[in-house]
Amino acid sequence: MSRRKKFLLLVWFVSHFLLILIVSCHETIVLVARGLTIIPPALGDYPKKAEKLAEIPIGLNLGHSNLLRRVVVSYLGAAGIDAGYGYFAPNVPGGYRLVFELQFPDGRTEFLMASAAANLRLASFVDQIGDNPSAEFREHMVKKLAAVVRAEHPEVVTVRASLERISQPTISDYERGGKEKYELLDAYEF
Amino acid sequence: MAMMRRRVIDFLFSDESDRWLTVLRIGLGLQVILYALSLLNDWNYFFATTGNALVTRDFAEALLALQSAFIPRLAWLVDGGRYLGLSEQTVLSVAWFCLLYSGVSLLLGISCRFAAILAWFLHLCAAKSGGFVSYGVDDFMTIGLFYLMLSPLPDRYSLDWRFRKTNPGNLWTFGFFRRVLQIHLSIIYFFSGLTKCLGSGWWNGSNVWRALTLPSFNLIPPEILVRWSLLFPAIGIAICLIETGYPVFIWLKKTRSFWLALVISMHAAIAVTMGMYLFALVMIVLNLAAFGPGIFALPLKLRAESLMHVPSHVD
Repeated sequence: MSRRKKFLLLVWFVSHFLLILIVSCHETIVLVARGLTIIPPALGDYPKKAEKLAEIPIGLNLGHSNLLRRVVVSYLGAAGIDAGYGYFAPNVPGGYRLVFELQFPDGRTEFLMASAAANLRLASFVDQIGDNPSAEFREHMVKKLAAVVRAEHPEVVTVRASLERISQPTISDYERGGKEKYELLDAYEF
Repeated sequence: MAMMRRRVIDFLFSDESDRWLTVLRIGLGLQVILYALSLLNDWNYFFATTGNALVTRDFAEALLALQSAFIPRLAWLVDGGRYLGLSEQTVLSVAWFCLLYSGVSLLLGISCRFAAILAWFLHLCAAKSGGFVSYGVDDFMTIGLFYLMLSPLPDRYSLDWRFRKTNPGNLWTFGFFRRVLQIHLSIIYFFSGLTKCLGSGWWNGSNVWRALTLPSFNLIPPEILVRWSLLFPAIGIAICLIETGYPVFIWLKKTRSFWLALVISMHAAIAVTMGMYLFALVMIVLNLAAFGPGIFALPLKLRAESLMHVPSHVD
């Protein structure tokens, strides 16, 4: 019994850590393939080929409906090993902020900000909106946040939302009096 | 070849006391309680699909369903509740209370296995359904709770052990799951360090400045930070070295306590300077459970006691 249990645990151990290593390598290769690292582009197509290769063992090359892919993805999610560990790497990404301009019937204007400091989770949400390349996705998500703002301020006539990319000053810029800059990414009116 | 196999087996299935499991259970119990309390005011805002809610759960769950139908999500609970005539708000509130209850149970060691499974399941539901509002802490809580759920609970310091005198199983199962946690942490830090080493900003310190001045993390005013800017390259390089060197120096007896102290200090500094308290806590708990117990020599009497209390069934 003990021998069999040990054998089963050993099989699980090998499969589990193989998956962890593949996912971690895959993420690292993706960073290199996308040119986000200090590794020179002289490597040519090799990182992209390696990225495709690393997708095979975790089933990412299979269709979404493929049972094997679904089983592997479910296990990765359940064990918390579905993502690599490149936090703040290779470089710290810039943040985003979402500003709502509320226009009241009496002509008053108020500004609300949905980035930020108050809540790490909300900040993460705004960053995910800003990072997404799909304009439809960004609009859909901003619309959802605008609906919450509207529900909290039913008297508002219009809600204007601006999604802005935050550009932080470097240390030397800051020492010369430089401040954060905000680059408009999208603007919506609801 | 046979000797090599024997060494691997001995390494993975070595007899171990359950003190590391006590650290993991109590630490994750505390983590789950603080996680639930941190979401007390926002739980419905993040996860409800009606009323003044963020209404992202339906979208996150639709994306999740594309990947797999088997990943736990809050919709399972809400749909089950609807079948019983319960509203979404009621189901979400019950889920939050159950999560808090599982944390308290883990902390005290009451129905440890059930509490660990419940905590893992409910936290995973929240983390996956709230995919858009999740961050690093959720990944590490899932990892910790997954291992806790599989580990041979209860441990000697739990109330389960005191009152029910539950049989803990083989000593080598404690050793095996501790090794799993240790190896996983080594991989985590190695890849975290490696990917940082691949970015230029960690070598010149600009990433330390950027991380500390990001709007979500800027607890320390930049005018104070800038006075210390000469230290940033050293801090950036130190972080790369601590993380990349972890899989080597944490395993060497001579450097283990020093490296553990370095890693814990790094996470404590992240908590204090960036406000990532829950993230820091879960990392400190995982590190202390994996490499903390046994780092200092126990008095002989206590060591003997710790081995005598657990029946051995080693073959």
